[in-house]
Amino acid sequence: MFLYGFMQRAFQASILISLIAPMLGLFLILRRQSLMADTLSHVSLAGVALGLLLGYDPTWMNILVVVIVAGILEYLRKVYRTYSEISIAILMSGGMAVALVLMGLNDSGATVSIQQFLFGSIVTISVQQVWMLLILTLIIIVLYSVFRKPMYTLTFDEETAYTAGLPIQFMSVMFNILTGVTIALIMPIVGALLVSAILILPAAISIRLSKSFNGVIFIGIGVALIGMIMGLVGSYYLGTPPGATITLIYISIFSLLAVFK
Amino acid sequence: MQYIKVDDLAFHYEDEPVLENICFEVNAGDFAMLTGENGAAKSTLLRNILGLLKPTKGSVTLSKKNTEGEKLVVGYIPQQVASFNAGFPSTVLELVNSGRYPRGKWFKKLDKEDKEHVRKSLESVGMWEMRNKKIGELSGGQKQRISIARVFAMDPDLFILDEPTTGMDVNSREEFYKLLQHASEYHDKGILMVTHDHEEIRHYANKHIELIRKEGSPWRCFSMDSCKERSKHPSSFH
Repeated sequence: MFLYGFMQRAFQASILISLIAPMLGLFLILRRQSLMADTLSHVSLAGVALGLLLGYDPTWMNILVVVIVAGILEYLRKVYRTYSEISIAILMSGGMAVALVLMGLNDSGATVSIQQFLFGSIVTISVQQVWMLLILTLIIIVLYSVFRKPMYTLTFDEETAYTAGLPIQFMSVMFNILTGVTIALIMPIVGALLVSAILILPAAISIRLSKSFNGVIFIGIGVALIGMIMGLVGSYYLGTPPGATITLIYISIFSLLAVFK
Repeated sequence: MQYIKVDDLAFHYEDEPVLENICFEVNAGDFAMLTGENGAAKSTLLRNILGLLKPTKGSVTLSKKNTEGEKLVVGYIPQQVASFNAGFPSTVLELVNSGRYPRGKWFKKLDKEDKEHVRKSLESVGMWEMRNKKIGELSGGQKQRISIARVFAMDPDLFILDEPTTGMDVNSREEFYKLLQHASEYHDKGILMVTHDHEEIRHYANKHIELIRKEGSPWRCFSMDSCKERSKHPSSFH
């Protein structure tokens, strides 16, 4: 299995995603933005479709579109403060609608590429993508180490964070943008439909296993590594889609915990 | 030194006036209680002071510096803090440690002095033994106590507290008021506290701000400084 270059790249990408996912996932859960990952993955489909239609690199176009929408999401979250899920519904359906319209306008047979982004494929991971993921992982680890305390305070309670002098608006937008870039980069690997599961489930599992904030991150990384590696191996031998296989492993762990803990 | 100055503040929810003609000050060394009936917009007033809401009219001035010329640190306990983020994955100690972050520790490790502050704060509310518990496992009263400990750990120059003693027994409340009184008298802290326990606190506080209204009108301010009337008495409202 490891003799194949695409499998080596798939494992490298999986390890990197395992490091990122619990850090972002925990904040997404605690900020009640679990569905934001889903929204941005739908929007990123529109970014890919736009890139393919205009003939630009879909990855970069995708990042650009997702970053813009991540900013809009924060604005809508403020406008609909009490019903923040409205922003999710608007942008999720809007992203999907734009993607479908753009695909309809594109008559160059790019549907196959869109399907790869929709369901993900380990054979599509390029060396460039692994490098981009590595850079993103390093950025997220550094940002987490530096901004852990402000983010902890912001996530616990935005109002007390504001009174403590934190630039909560700026931090929220930056967090959304970082999440957007991450989704844009991992979406081609795991598929737009399962990005949120890959980001959210490791943290959702580790929250049940740890008392402390840092503990959740460390256990989450362990859970993510187990799920991603088992999922990839399973997907290779069973010929199943990797994103779906990984998600099912996470859900199995989650169910076992729910029964025994 | 003046920490809070509220000058002719009015606040409307959409088009409905809820606060009007609110004027008072809280200075370093003041222990001010803010009272009023249920629905008197006391929390709304605090949120205006903190900048979380924008006054429709008038102004709120929050000092930028403390008595020593350093950046003013504000410790805020919102109403019903005990219902906070119950699933938040944090130990009591982690949460109370976070009270030290605004003291120049956002990007630095907590030192011995910080840890001592945190220990004393937890001890002052009787929660040191519970420091390794997950906050979600605490009772409502215990959550209230650690919220207080977090603010004490912050050692703020100005305390803004919205019914902080909800769920606490009489003895704990009295201990808490004594701590606040000591902080204002001996450490020049400013305190503005929303409360319904007017009778209990009046022995400790030196200033009383009451929100009061005539039927059908917005809430207005009746402020007493050491029981000395400073603004219009409600009977003179027209």
